[in-house]
Amino acid sequence: MTIHRVIRKVQRFEGWFGGGALLCLIAGLYLGLIGSPPDYYQGEVVRIMYIHVPLAHTSLLGYTILAAGSLWYLWKRDPIVDNMCQAVAALSAVFTALALGTGMIWGKPTWDTWWTWDARLTSFTVLLLILIGYLMLRTFVDDPEKEARYGAILAIVGFVDLPIIHFSVEWWRTLHQPQSISMRGVSISSGLLVPLLFMSVGMSLLFSYMLMVRTQLLYLDRLLHAKKGRLLSQFHLSKSDS
Amino acid sequence: MTNLHRRWGGVFLVAIVFIVLTYNHYRDNLASLAPEQVKQETPAGEIRVLGMVQGGTLETRGAGEATFALLGKSATLPVHYQGPPPDNLRELKILILIGTWNADRQVFEAHDIGIVPNYGFIAGAYLLGLLPLALLLFAMTRRVHSLYEEIKASTLYEEE
Amino acid sequence: MGEDEGEGDGKNCKSEMMVAKKKAGMIVSILLVGGALGYLALGNFGENVVYFFTPSEVKAFSTDYYQKKVRVGGMVVEGSMETYPDRLGLTFRLTDGEATIPVTFEGIPPDLFKEGQGAVVEGYWTNQQRFESNLIMAKHSEDYMPIELKRAGVELPRKDFMKSLVE
Repeated sequence: MTIHRVIRKVQRFEGWFGGGALLCLIAGLYLGLIGSPPDYYQGEVVRIMYIHVPLAHTSLLGYTILAAGSLWYLWKRDPIVDNMCQAVAALSAVFTALALGTGMIWGKPTWDTWWTWDARLTSFTVLLLILIGYLMLRTFVDDPEKEARYGAILAIVGFVDLPIIHFSVEWWRTLHQPQSISMRGVSISSGLLVPLLFMSVGMSLLFSYMLMVRTQLLYLDRLLHAKKGRLLSQFHLSKSDS
Repeated sequence: MTNLHRRWGGVFLVAIVFIVLTYNHYRDNLASLAPEQVKQETPAGEIRVLGMVQGGTLETRGAGEATFALLGKSATLPVHYQGPPPDNLRELKILILIGTWNADRQVFEAHDIGIVPNYGFIAGAYLLGLLPLALLLFAMTRRVHSLYEEIKASTLYEEE
Repeated sequence: MGEDEGEGDGKNCKSEMMVAKKKAGMIVSILLVGGALGYLALGNFGENVVYFFTPSEVKAFSTDYYQKKVRVGGMVVEGSMETYPDRLGLTFRLTDGEATIPVTFEGIPPDLFKEGQGAVVEGYWTNQQRFESNLIMAKHSEDYMPIELKRAGVELPRKDFMKSLVE
């Protein structure tokens, strides 16, 4: 049995992503926690931004990959693409939950509340619910082809939440502050921007690396199951022969 | 000791070094005295006092000078502040004052405002953000390794 | 899971139940996604549900609102904060540039609460035309810089919160 060429490629290049993520995150953590000044208004707690914002935008990146992958799957019907979709959904769910969690921890010392149902927080919670719904749906469908197809459709429908999340702080009245990097320009001075950039790049690389690992995991799992199934059927065949 | 364990051991070591470095960097900002402690113990030299600006007591004179009372649990401390413009100073603000206690005049002479040690939030956010990811990644890489092993081992059956 | 092919009546019955359970699970997960998206659509696209009102809107409230817990957002008017010497609490005025309302609060305001900055308060608009708040949330803007730059007069681009309120 041969391993899919995409997986072989992933195996060969994943180390670069993992290593790059580690280096960027070490640099970002050093700059974010030690090598950068506190904010004029928030003081030290601004450092939570360097972990919260990268987690949040990486989960949005993850969902974008999921939606694109789902379209691709519906077009090509390649099971390896579906493995990738399933992997990216689980990881996005984890990143989304962590973005919400770190956001809560940032909210308490700044806003003085852990949680409030403003448009940004609500739409982000909806993203988590969509991902949980997606993963749940997949466990309830027996036929792998149907499982992939239903999942893909749900993921594409759920994509409408992404522009809502992005523009929620611009369109509606929220407690959450607007985008710091927008059409208005960059509202973060360089001393605080550099650690944010390192953490963002590092987190995106980490996400990519984790995606590569998880896609492999799901693919290998499927491969092994198929193999076991075939061995089993061969076993049955030989038994009926005798 | 596999390659995988060695790699994760390295990550673990880096994390430990990092935590120690960060703790050392902020250690001096953690300690502070309460107003009642200052009144009782009359400490000499530069100290840090944690308290709240009492309502109705703040009077500013010019950009970098202010007087107010710092409220603790059981005592208030008269404060005379002179230093850089206290940008975020207001009544009912909890803050750390850096300065010396003038026992003769019974006034705390502050020359700077420190940051309230709310590092717990920062530490909590970083732990919450990174620890689950590291654990998940570790579990996934281990599983991928064992899957490859299993597939390799089962090729014996395959090769007929 | 799902590998039993159903031999005999008892097993058939069991697999039918499994199928029903899976169907129910599918419906629940689709409802979860649909419900979440629907809530978002109703909660935010709807005209009458907003996260907070502006002081202008509060001033135009009918008496029905007096018993209702609402949120109001605006700028804390410079120089309007007053505290009590004997208890923890404060009064201040909240404005959107067109209307201004007085707010009272018992307790310690958030660390980032400041005159000239945004705040969202939760509580009741009373018939004394005063807002009795039991929660103050400090709204901070999206610009970040060290104190040295701020003191040097640097202003980074940011959304005008006050202007966005009356638009």
